Amino acid sequence: MDLNKADHVVSKMKEEFTLSFLVNGQKHELPVQASARLVDILREKVHLTGTKVSCGIGRCGACSVLLDGQLVNACLVMAYQVNGKSVLTIEGLGTDGNRNIQEAFLHEGGFQCGYCTSGMIMAVKALVDAVPNPTEEDIKEALSGNLCRCTGYGGIIRAVQRLANGNA
Amino acid sequence: MKFNISEREGRVRPDGMAKVTGDLKYLTDLTFPNMLHGKILRSSYPHANIVSIKTERAEQLPGVAVVITHKDVPGMNRFGIIFPDQPVFCEDKVRYMGDAIAAVAAESEAIAYEALALIEVVYEELPVIDDPKKALAKDAPKLHPSGNILHRATFKNGDVSKAFDDCFTVVEETYELPRQMHAYLETEGGVIVPKEDGSITVYAGTQHGFKDRFQLARILAKPEHEIRIISSPMGGSFGGKDELNIQPYGAILALVTGRPVKVHHTRKESVWAGLKRHPMRITMKTGASKTGKIVAHEVRIIADTGAYATLGPAVLDFAVEHASGPYIIPNIDIEGLSVFTNNGVSGEFRGFGGNQITFALEGQINRLAEALGIDPIELRRKNIRKATDKGPLGQRIAPSNGALEVLESINALCMKQKEKQKQEPCSKWKRKGTGMALAMHGGGLGFGRLDSAGGRLALNHEGKIEIAFGFEECGQGLLAVIENIVIKEIGCSQNDLKIVIGDTALVPVSGSSTASRGTSIVWQSVQRMKEPFTQKICKRVSQLLSIPENELILGENGLWRVNGKHPCMTYKQLAQEMKDGSPLVVYTNFHFPTTPDAVIGGHYLYTFGGVKVEVEVDLLTGKVKVTDLDHVIAAGPVISPNGYRGQIEGGGVMSLGYTLMEEAKMEGGRYVTENFDTYLIPGIADIPFHTNVQAIEALYKDDSHGPRGVGEIGTIAITPAIVNAIHDAIGHWVQHLPVSSEEILEAIEVRRMLEWT
Repeated sequence: MDLNKADHVVSKMKEEFTLSFLVNGQKHELPVQASARLVDILREKVHLTGTKVSCGIGRCGACSVLLDGQLVNACLVMAYQVNGKSVLTIEGLGTDGNRNIQEAFLHEGGFQCGYCTSGMIMAVKALVDAVPNPTEEDIKEALSGNLCRCTGYGGIIRAVQRLANGNA
Repeated sequence: MKFNISEREGRVRPDGMAKVTGDLKYLTDLTFPNMLHGKILRSSYPHANIVSIKTERAEQLPGVAVVITHKDVPGMNRFGIIFPDQPVFCEDKVRYMGDAIAAVAAESEAIAYEALALIEVVYEELPVIDDPKKALAKDAPKLHPSGNILHRATFKNGDVSKAFDDCFTVVEETYELPRQMHAYLETEGGVIVPKEDGSITVYAGTQHGFKDRFQLARILAKPEHEIRIISSPMGGSFGGKDELNIQPYGAILALVTGRPVKVHHTRKESVWAGLKRHPMRITMKTGASKTGKIVAHEVRIIADTGAYATLGPAVLDFAVEHASGPYIIPNIDIEGLSVFTNNGVSGEFRGFGGNQITFALEGQINRLAEALGIDPIELRRKNIRKATDKGPLGQRIAPSNGALEVLESINALCMKQKEKQKQEPCSKWKRKGTGMALAMHGGGLGFGRLDSAGGRLALNHEGKIEIAFGFEECGQGLLAVIENIVIKEIGCSQNDLKIVIGDTALVPVSGSSTASRGTSIVWQSVQRMKEPFTQKICKRVSQLLSIPENELILGENGLWRVNGKHPCMTYKQLAQEMKDGSPLVVYTNFHFPTTPDAVIGGHYLYTFGGVKVEVEVDLLTGKVKVTDLDHVIAAGPVISPNGYRGQIEGGGVMSLGYTLMEEAKMEGGRYVTENFDTYLIPGIADIPFHTNVQAIEALYKDDSHGPRGVGEIGTIAITPAIVNAIHDAIGHWVQHLPVSSEEILEAIEVRRMLEWT
């Protein structure tokens, strides 16, 4: 198997359509290919680089964003799937003044290199929106799609528990 | 989840806010006007002659700016931190799947990939040497002109064979350790920007900017001053970005096209080309007297170093050095070989050979304890080094009682655990076990190696106290360490401080951000600079305000008169005053503390760590789960509590993965696993929610070396401790990592541990 061929079969479908969607509350209309990855659109067209790419196959969660409030991997979502929808990225979180999750991560050492952090925080956002006082099992389930190689998850767990205790 | 030290003053790390808001620009996030995208063509075979390379079709593809091969390397077509034996581009031969043949710069990544597919390379396949055993066979083809042995390292003391004859018990075992992937979340990448004057700026993560500059100067045939390396921040490294990766390709493409070029590996490209932890096969024979005095230790190490050298020799030296760990053994015979193969390149990885050798050593100690019928902690107590004993290579080292202190703390934790376990009901399908292990780890590069350290402290023109080091922030928390040390030692506040790192144009030489050396060097540098800096600044203010020097102190926002209610001169005012005068700046330059004894690679400053762990073995699935984890670390004072704890917890979990889950398996010189769908690193459900880190902060009396780095020590003892706990649970000794469920199930069946068997 050839690495270069296998990894990126160049799409023959190069026709573009006008994608219309909200990113962090702001409307964007962009000419893109229907199969373009949401993560590339965010990083390259909307110039929001807080959303990261690490595995590119939906396993690590570094590209996690909320799509109409649902946690998704932006590397697995294609342009046509977000048309008319609303995306929340890390840059949009806390702009309303509520930075509780981010504060909790800061004070509990919930990150080190920070590369998983955007996605991890979005996953925590999805968790606490649904379950304000998560149990150990809730935390495990909600964050299982987000890998962190630095912290060993200790600081992340403490950050979520701090949120649950209202200490942020 | 406890820790015996809490974060001081609620300070958060300097890079924290930018990280939690997504604002921080990593070097792979950068774009520049007129930027091209670079991609690298890697080998199609693990071992082959190159018959021909044709690039014409790729060059003709619209949107392709240039295609380069070995013919386009202006200077030395080789890299490697110590032994430059790895081709930037292969000329006539490939030795592993990560070898580069050509590179393309194009208007988009998609076009670059399309162009790679149009490059025609004709190979002539050669026999693949995919195991060190094959490489060492007499008739094996030579992978390099000097043969297939990269490095041989030995240490001998006393008379081992005679000592074994007198032993009451001897245990012998072979331990096999897998290839581990660093799995930093940010893959290798960055942007190289050329200027009209022929100079370039390289924005790409590395653990030693000046070393990259040195290597690139050789490759590009350029003076070093025409190369600027911006090497920080990084989304993780763990040793893996220490060696050059994409930099030479990006740099040549940028110079040839005159345009900025971005190269960013996909995960698969990263797996193929990147470094890994050395797979090792370690045979140990260890003998003790009836009373439990260990008297003889024979060790043979075979390391699979892959196709090229990088720091393979130093990793082997480190393993040899740590083969007796914190124990005093009078008769020793250690020999290690680092062997070339057609596998992926093994090299720098957090723990640096210590993980492999300590797994074997601690396994031996536990097996000996069992064979002798002596409690494993008591056996360790009988053989453990005393504070002023010499180091493991017979060299003088900085005295430390850390080994015994850690052992006694672990002992107390084990006693508590046993009490707890007694009270817990035993499940029919699950067995619990407790295990422990110790580790000793040298910091710095070791005797005989250039290990320059230094820093700069200044009052800059903005009125900030500016501290500069030639270090990188990989995530380890170096910025917080710098901030905490400077604030404490100088007396200024967080707002008064500017930290400069990771840019060869702006920083002094500090050496590499590796080998658990950063914290040591920052502390020692500030100790050296604080007096002259304070004196200089006080003298100037004394002259300006006619206040006696000895009545002035540095504090928040400026200089204060003793007992003053506010600063008598702010740093800003002082900067204004000296706008036209000579700057207030001090430098320091020194060598990392080294043993006075000429033992190549021998260390001087050591840290100690211990782990107590509880596992649960599922008798039906053979799965092992770590349910409780305690670390005890003796590494001097804690500088940055969240950082310290994070390094130990994170390092521990990285090695939990190494022990139970991770293997970058290769078959016939090809990776079987290429991404996180098959290479599994621990997720949040794989780790114990109950983790404690206990720091022993006291240093030996009169120790003047200050806090030690803790980037590696938390990764080592956990592996043998887990294996020890598995033995406690089911009576089976694992000697091959990662622990396989099949092996555990077989052990359970052999022992008839299930009701129906």
